[in-house]
Amino acid sequence: MRTDAVLDALARREPVAGGDPAVRLLGALVADVDSQRLSSVSITPST
Amino acid sequence: MRNVTEGCVADAAVGVRLATRSDESDLRELTSLAVQGDRHAIESLLGHLRPMVVRYCRARLGRVSGHYHIADDVAQEVCIAVLSALPRYRDMGRPFASFVFGIASHKVADALRSSVRSAVPTQDLPDGPDEGPGPEETVVRYIEAQHARDLLSRLPHTQRELLILRVVSGLSAEETGNVLGMSPGAVRVAQHRALARLRQLAELESIA
Repeated sequence: MRTDAVLDALARREPVAGGDPAVRLLGALVADVDSQRLSSVSITPST
Repeated sequence: MRNVTEGCVADAAVGVRLATRSDESDLRELTSLAVQGDRHAIESLLGHLRPMVVRYCRARLGRVSGHYHIADDVAQEVCIAVLSALPRYRDMGRPFASFVFGIASHKVADALRSSVRSAVPTQDLPDGPDEGPGPEETVVRYIEAQHARDLLSRLPHTQRELLILRVVSGLSAEETGNVLGMSPGAVRVAQHRALARLRQLAELESIA
């Protein structure tokens, strides 16, 4: 699988087959980053 | 006041997308309206960008005391800085994302330079049962993610930024190139080298 296709699949949060340790680590990072709730925030000023 | 985004980053999976030409055109139009002060456009623009910025900041800064509060605060600062700079933004032909991630990169660097770590607020108590992964899975995931951050930190700056922007924030090769000042072709060559280097580091660690 070409690097571009692998990175695109990871970016789309799709499973990537194979035993590439670099891909597994990036997958773990993505899962961790996506796991925790975003805090509720206000950015736009009130009217 | 209206909330721009609320909920789990994973729920916002639609925010993880690779830009198509149509997306870029829509985003450019949205940016143009936002620069003119259109409130709905500003909200849409930030709603579109914030999940990507949060992921970027979380990937770069990691957890403190098991939480992403610091990273999320920095992401919030990025969004506020983008909002403040919006009236002065001029479309010079580069995607708006490159402007946003330029700010994000500086904010993250500032946060990394700062040795001050303020008190970490506790999360609100959940209203119902926690349906997330159990403690064992959470710990394994945390350790693997931290390992990924450690190895990424050993890559050259451009390679690290490239992988985080492409994979974690979900930018296309074209968008990533605009953020890093590289052509899409150069991004594709560099990402291949970055992944190979990360693989080499991971294999060396597993042998040691």
